[in-house]
Parts: sequence; C-alpha cells; structure tokens
Amino acid sequence: MRYSARGDAKGSLLFVPPFAEEMNKSRRMVALQSRALADRGFSVLQLDLYGCGDSDGDFGEAVWSQWRDDVVEAARWWRAQSGHAPILWSLRAGCLLACEAASATRGERFIFWQPQPAGSQALQQFLRLRVAQQAFGSSAHARAGTQDLRAALVRGEALEVAGYVLAPGLALGLDAANLSLPAHAARVAWVEIVPDADTAVRPVAQKLVGDWRNSGVDATLHSVQGPAFWQTQEIAESQALIDATVGIVAGSSQ
Amino acid sequence: MDVQKEVVAVVDRVLDLRGRGGALNASSRLLGHVPELDSMAVATLITSLEERFGFTIADDEIDGSAFQTVGTLVEFVNGKLSQ
Repeated sequence: MRYSARGDAKGSLLFVPPFAEEMNKSRRMVALQSRALADRGFSVLQLDLYGCGDSDGDFGEAVWSQWRDDVVEAARWWRAQSGHAPILWSLRAGCLLACEAASATRGERFIFWQPQPAGSQALQQFLRLRVAQQAFGSSAHARAGTQDLRAALVRGEALEVAGYVLAPGLALGLDAANLSLPAHAARVAWVEIVPDADTAVRPVAQKLVGDWRNSGVDATLHSVQGPAFWQTQEIAESQALIDATVGIVAGSSQ
Repeated sequence: MDVQKEVVAVVDRVLDLRGRGGALNASSRLLGHVPELDSMAVATLITSLEERFGFTIADDEIDGSAFQTVGTLVEFVNGKLSQ
C-alpha cells in the first residue's frame, strides 16, 4: 500500500508492520497516520511481509530472514521511487525487524512506536496466547508451557498459535532479535503510548534512548496518551499519536 | 497503592469496557461472564498486569481460578506483589 505525498514530496517513510494479530489490529491507525503524513508532504510505503496482508504465501511459510530481506528490498525500491532515503517507521516487533534490515540498507532515521526491546519477550507473549487457550479456551492441545513450546520450535516443529502457524524459522529469528541500531543510525524517535497521565514510560525506553544518545545518535523519547490500539479488543485510534508523529517527521525533515 | 482500583483500570482498558469497569466490584464475575474475556484477552491481561505491577507471571500460574472474579484477580495480584 502506497500513499503519495500531496505536492512535491519532502521525504518518505517505509512502515514495517508488527507481528501477527497486532498487524491486523493496527492497520487502521497505520492507514490514518499514512494519510496524515501524505497530506503534509511525505510519501509512505506500507510493507506487507511475506505471508501477511496482501503479499504472497502463507504465514506458516514465513521465516525471519526472509522478512528482513523483504524490508531491505522494499527500502531500496522505495528510496529509488520516492527520491528520498526513507525513514523506517515501525510498531512493536516491527522495530526489531527494522533494526536488522537497517544494517543492510543505509537507513539512518527511525521512528519506533512502542517498540518491543527484545524478540524473546515478543515470542514469549505470543506463545502465551496458546498457553492461555489451553487454560481457558476449548483448545484441543495438551497443556504445555512456553518452555515446552520453545523446545518444540528448537526441535523444528511448527506450532499453531491463535490461528497462526508459526514456523521455527520465524519464531527463532524473532527470539534472537534485539533492538540494536546499526552503526550508521543518525536519528531515532521512540514514541511510548501510555494509557493516562499517571503512567510513566517504560524504564527500558529511558535506558535505551540514553544509551543511544551516549553513542552519538540524535535520540528522542516521546510520551503520548492513547489506547494500546495494537491489542485492544475493538479497533482503536489515537489522534494524539498521529499529531505527534507528524510533528516528529516534519521536524526531522528540516 | 489501591490494588483493586489499578486492577479494575487494567481490566477496563484491556477489555475496552470504556469505563463500564468503574461499576466492577470485588464480587463481579469475570471469566465466563464478561464476553470480551476470551483466551486472547486473558493473555493480554496477563501481560498488561506484568507491565503495570512489574512482576512476572509464570506459565503454571496461569489458570482459571485467578480470573473468576475481580476479587480473586486482586488477591492474585496481591500475592504476586508480596512475593
């Protein structure tokens, strides 16, 4: 999906989606954000990873390294098409993928929405869906903990989790992923979405943004109030997040 | 910290009750009575409780008894906080 800038493009962005159901739940917000950016003169390419959305293949055949290559290829193509080095914009586990891909592209600028700092945590949360299904749902699976499920993946077995077939090549790649910036990273905006004014940003956000600053990256931390739209039961929107992100992108193009 | 108030706020947010959670009290039934609370929502609820209260919930602690009522869930969270 492609959103062309109104008028001459001032810059471009490539959106790297989050994992599994979070991608579906965030589709609306990503579309609204993309339109808002296009209205302000920025072209946006929304990437469908292999086995997701409108792309070819089944989710169950997707492997992490292929997804990384999808992002690398899309970034190169979009740079040539748009005439600008795209900002890598991503949500949750998509941020892990953006970091990995960026070491192979010349991607220097990033916008992270509520990033998951470690792939192992993202995998743990996903496997927990199956644990919860076993405990509460009408699942026919024998009761197994996340450790057993990890062991099955390491043995090369695919798992069915929350309606998705999870291949070992995808799960283990995610498991090993970390939110580490490539050496050429120049500017990063980390946006935390908090439910209310009383909720502080996660300590890990403070820590990583501080570390990046110390290593010379222009890293900023932003806190925006709004719903956790990637996981809410009903599809949710946050105008505050859209406005904040437009501000970040418009500011970084100067 | 008013643990019950915090727990209700997390339940309200995760299940998208849009403030209907404000009417919940300790004897309010959850599992099997709140239609939004499916297994997917339970998993999200567990993660959200971990993030809000800063503890880790092990797999073998995930069972139906803690999710019967608001009261049992508050008791579960209090137990985790005192560990």
